[in-house]
Amino acid sequence: MYYQKTEKSLNTIEIEIKKIFFQVFPDLEESEFDWKKKQNDYENWDSFSQLNLITMIEEKFNILISDNDAVGFQSAENFRNFVERNR
Amino acid sequence: MKTIIDFFRQNVENFPDKIALIFEDRKLSYKELGGLVDSFSDSLTELEKKSVVSLFLDNSIDFVISYLGILNAGMIVHLIPTNLTIQKIQQQLEISNSNLLITSNHLMNKIKDIKYECRKKSFSELNIKKNDFLKSNNFYNEIAYLIFTSGTTGIPKGVSITQCNTIFTTKNIINVLKYDESDVNILPLPLTHSFGLGCLHTSLFLGSTLIILKNATNTCNILEQVIKHNATTLAAVPLTLNKILNEHKNYSDYFHKLRLIITNSTSVPVKTVKEYRKILKNGNLATYYGLTEASRSTFMIFDKSGKETSVGKPSNGIQIKIKNESSNESETGEILIKGENVVKNYWKNPDADKKILDNWLQTGDLGHKDSEGYLYLDGRIDDIINIAGEKVVPEDIETIVRVLIDVDDVVVVGMKNDMYGEIIKMFVKKSTDGKITKSEILAYCLKHLESHKVPREIEFLDDFPRNEFGKIERFKLK
Repeated sequence: MYYQKTEKSLNTIEIEIKKIFFQVFPDLEESEFDWKKKQNDYENWDSFSQLNLITMIEEKFNILISDNDAVGFQSAENFRNFVERNR
Repeated sequence: MKTIIDFFRQNVENFPDKIALIFEDRKLSYKELGGLVDSFSDSLTELEKKSVVSLFLDNSIDFVISYLGILNAGMIVHLIPTNLTIQKIQQQLEISNSNLLITSNHLMNKIKDIKYECRKKSFSELNIKKNDFLKSNNFYNEIAYLIFTSGTTGIPKGVSITQCNTIFTTKNIINVLKYDESDVNILPLPLTHSFGLGCLHTSLFLGSTLIILKNATNTCNILEQVIKHNATTLAAVPLTLNKILNEHKNYSDYFHKLRLIITNSTSVPVKTVKEYRKILKNGNLATYYGLTEASRSTFMIFDKSGKETSVGKPSNGIQIKIKNESSNESETGEILIKGENVVKNYWKNPDADKKILDNWLQTGDLGHKDSEGYLYLDGRIDDIINIAGEKVVPEDIETIVRVLIDVDDVVVVGMKNDMYGEIIKMFVKKSTDGKITKSEILAYCLKHLESHKVPREIEFLDDFPRNEFGKIERFKLK
């Protein structure tokens, strides 16, 4: 059974990434957020939102994301893993 | 048909002893100025009519004598801003095919290495004597002067302004802004630019008094001159007006006799308009929209609230239309101008002439009109950013971000990008002690802008690259 983390158990990276997702998708409800939810399952995750997610994450974590990496991000989990590896 | 020289000549007869020009400690009456202008024209007799004579002088009485003397001799004045680089001066001299360059002893040193072959003379070398002003010529349809514009690419284009363009524009300035012969005008703007030159023409046309100052940044001197000469009008760029507000506590004490401050800009900051409306108890702040190619196309007098961001309505005899896909002038499109203020063609530049179609000048400026016909500027076509097919006007973003308390000013440009074609880069000048972070600006943008308008990069700058008139040079940020 998939273990859903509670807000308390999220680490700093996860909190910030989640915050960024709610900023980029202001209509997203708390109950709709899922780390594994794919790009196609979001109503507004288009190429511009992708760009905005990358920009916000680069700025927040002071990292650079290459164009090659950028095309690979399809879920919040992808972003989390990338930040954890590269921070 | 009369030229600016003819109107000046009339004033030499009507007001011979009236002071025409003041510069530092030197004053010249209309009669004295007329005599010196004729003498200057005589010194050019070895040149043919319609020759190009380049003027490379700072604001001064010598500048005015030379300028009028060249026109009076039936030649074309090529105006060179004194802050140009050697390379740009050389480029302009080559394109204009100049026959003679007049400068000062002081500036001669700056141009000594220029390779262009033409005679270079210092004003003091010319044998200019005081005599009577007698000559009368008719050059109404001829080119009066050349001003080069750099455009967004930095390649200069010569704009050929005729005597009739000049008279048409001067009459519009007088009619709209109600200048008259009793005015005492302060001019701290370069005479090599259309704004400053238009003020000179207006003063000479009417027979009023013009006080020429060397620069627009010495606000102490500007204010002192306003008081000293009981000035009635002041011409100044918004940068100067803001500097006065920031640097002088009792600025309103200086302005009680002014009936007019004329400025120009793509848009005067709203807070500047509001502040000057309060200060000018007996006068108005006004602005205009124009290009060197189409001087003073609209005027806006800020005499009541509600239209602070507009550049006004077209002047008499000038038509303005907005070209866009919807054919709806309330939506942003390119501004087209037609009227006698519009040049017939550029100087030996058939490519640039394509911008003038059936006498309509395609300005490259973006704008829209409101329901009452007031014009608003929205940016430049060249500045439009194309992100994966979505067109973004930088001003749409800048206006939103500029309201942030810690942000003093903001400029947005498009940067090339392999995936998106272009991406948005934002340059931010923080206000003094401003502590805003890039993340906070981005979060604000996400909240207030459509997703494709959110910048990809943000960079903080102490200030933006500007030209000699304080206008931001976007192309240098790309």
